[in-house]
Amino acid sequence: MQNELSSVVDALPAMVWSALPDGRVDFVNRRWCGYVGQAADAAWGDGWQTWIHPDDFPGLLDCWRSILASGAAGEMEARLRRIDGEYRWFVFQVSPRIDASGQVAKWWGINTDIDVRKRAEEAVRAREGRFRSIIEGLPVLVTLHTPAGDVELVNRRVVEYFGATLEEMKGRPGADIYHPDDRPKLIAAWSASIDAGHPYEFEARLRRADGVYRWFQLRAFPLRDAAGQIVLWYLLQIDIDDWKRAEALLAGEKRLLEMVANGDSMSEVLEELCELVESTASGCYCSVVLVDPTGTHLEHGVAPSLPASFITSIVGRPVSMHSGPCGMAAYLNERVVSPDIASEMRWSSHEWCQMALAHGLRACSSTPISSAAGKVLGAFAIYYNEPTTPSTRHQELVEQFTHIASIAIERVQRDAERRLSEEVLGKVRSELARVARVTSLGALTASIAHEVNQPLSGILTNASTCLRMLGADPPNVDGARETARRTIRDGNRASEVVTRLRALFGKKDATTEAMDLNEATREVIALTLSELKRGRVILREELADDLPPVTGDRIQLQQVILNLLLNASDAMSGVEDRPRHLVVKTHREGGDRVRVAVEDVGVGFEPQVADRLFEAFYTTKSGGMGIGLSVSRSIIESHQGRLSAAPNDGPGAIFSFSIPVASDRASGAYGRDAIREAVGPTGEPARGNS
Amino acid sequence: MRPVVTVVDDDESVRESLPDLLREFGFASRAFASAEEFLTSDSLGETNCLILDVAMPGMTGPELLRELSRRQREIPIVFITAVGDETVRPRLLEKGAVDCLFKPFSEAALLEALNTALRVG
Repeated sequence: MQNELSSVVDALPAMVWSALPDGRVDFVNRRWCGYVGQAADAAWGDGWQTWIHPDDFPGLLDCWRSILASGAAGEMEARLRRIDGEYRWFVFQVSPRIDASGQVAKWWGINTDIDVRKRAEEAVRAREGRFRSIIEGLPVLVTLHTPAGDVELVNRRVVEYFGATLEEMKGRPGADIYHPDDRPKLIAAWSASIDAGHPYEFEARLRRADGVYRWFQLRAFPLRDAAGQIVLWYLLQIDIDDWKRAEALLAGEKRLLEMVANGDSMSEVLEELCELVESTASGCYCSVVLVDPTGTHLEHGVAPSLPASFITSIVGRPVSMHSGPCGMAAYLNERVVSPDIASEMRWSSHEWCQMALAHGLRACSSTPISSAAGKVLGAFAIYYNEPTTPSTRHQELVEQFTHIASIAIERVQRDAERRLSEEVLGKVRSELARVARVTSLGALTASIAHEVNQPLSGILTNASTCLRMLGADPPNVDGARETARRTIRDGNRASEVVTRLRALFGKKDATTEAMDLNEATREVIALTLSELKRGRVILREELADDLPPVTGDRIQLQQVILNLLLNASDAMSGVEDRPRHLVVKTHREGGDRVRVAVEDVGVGFEPQVADRLFEAFYTTKSGGMGIGLSVSRSIIESHQGRLSAAPNDGPGAIFSFSIPVASDRASGAYGRDAIREAVGPTGEPARGNS
Repeated sequence: MRPVVTVVDDDESVRESLPDLLREFGFASRAFASAEEFLTSDSLGETNCLILDVAMPGMTGPELLRELSRRQREIPIVFITAVGDETVRPRLLEKGAVDCLFKPFSEAALLEALNTALRVG
């Protein structure tokens, strides 16, 4: 029986052994001997320990001792060295044979090869370790959720950010880590995503352990098994707060610069600036005060989030050491910090501290705003409800925004100055235009008088003749009829002159219309003819037949032509050695422009003064005011044209302008400036001496 | 023999109307459009009084006055002008004109000037 049993044990496909109650081995089967490649007696006693992996041995021994002590069945795991030197994992299962007295009589053990399973487990552990190190290494907050959405695992960053362990996080409702404003939408989106199994993306503010909310981008995506079932949700929470702030800041800067460029008022720009800083650096209030042009007082201020009484109590204070932090910062041109206004000893004479405390302000930092040239423009102040020193981040923000403020203030001030000077300039130019027209009207008076006096003279003479013929005996009725006919003709002639004058000077508004420049030129020539004749000017018209219409203000353009004709006549007034030829030309230039040129053989001009001819008050004429050409040029420029001067062939000058031919576009009014110049500041045309 | 009053004026309405009126006054009258035309005409020799426009293309009225005096043709001249420049009158009188009338002038003023001129002549 004993032999039979022994042969069975030897034949078993497992290592079998037995040990005495004290743990000394007294038997190993053949399979054991085959595995280790030794005779059985080598294992007896403590000999078996030779084949245990040194790393596993202490643990195995502890375990074996406690089993021995307990007297109950147990199991241990360790690696055993095979005959070829390879260690393989085994589980040592052992149970006692109890004798009649209840004592352990013998220990029976069986070792089963679990190497394959053990190595698979190790591989899994290694993979998990790698995965763990990956998620720990990610610079984002990672949480793993069950398919139902419950927290299963978090990385270290999550623990650090929220200041809670995994267990604590599992135990509390997840939603309270989100900003209340973001919560409802976020939960709805997350739930919908879990229900549908779709990836999920959201931006929300997450509350940090210290209570500060920061913006995160939340991205969740499901991990599915081979059957397509969701086994896990990965949730990545990426801190985009700095980016978000930078984005908001950039958008704010852009908005500010747009406001500056749009010419928004100083108050609007500065208020926007304060609000931008307040929204970027939460938990503070801002104010900006400007220094007046003399540099002695604070003159203008905004503090959009503080009561109006706060800023009004600062504005008007002198720039000095005693006027509160802003006045002092502007005075010293350096930052002034008051970390606790309640214990502040400075500025007491102006009761600034009481005023600030009354508005609930407990700390303040004021930074001077300097121009590019280093001049102090104002001060930018940041206030807190608690005693504090501004954080580095806040200081950096303030630095950044005082710079933007200086750009904005300088720009707005420059714009205001420019607008003012433009207004003044506009008034001066309108006045000049009026004077210029009155002046050219004065020069025209003789011509007009001539034009009207000629027919009047005819009328009187004819009427006298007519009366005499009718009074004769017998009355000369035929002659009287003829003189009466001439009287009517001369009357019409005088009337035409008046009509032309009315056309030139009587129109109310500057208007644009498609017009024939030849016709307009002829009308001006008709009015100036006698004046030119008086100056012994020999006028020649060379008006092109095929002149297309132009769009423009007829009266303005006629005034330019009139001015050029009178100038040409004046330029030739001293010429005695040659005929005083004046040529008026019109011609088409290129496909789309029409040029009007007035050529004289007068004194001409020196090439070096060509640029100055069009300046207001520049004149070469003893009686001239030097206005006509500058006004003429602005009229032409308002017609998208250009007035230029060139020397004539031989003596004299050519003044000419070209303007575009009429397009199909509906013609609108020309630049307001030109109209103002043409009709005077009141909108009323100048009417000579009336 | 009726006195001959010659009109030199570039303005057609004057040339048409004034000789008619002068004839109504009892003068003989002819009209010329320019000084040059007048100088080359046979009227030069028979004119007793010249009514002369001041401003004309080509030779002006005062230039004709100078030309006549150069030729020692002492014809009394009454200037007429449509330009209301009062300063021209004393200068013309200084140069020997009998009178200077500003257009439009009255019948009476014309007659008075002619009477003076013909008395001088």
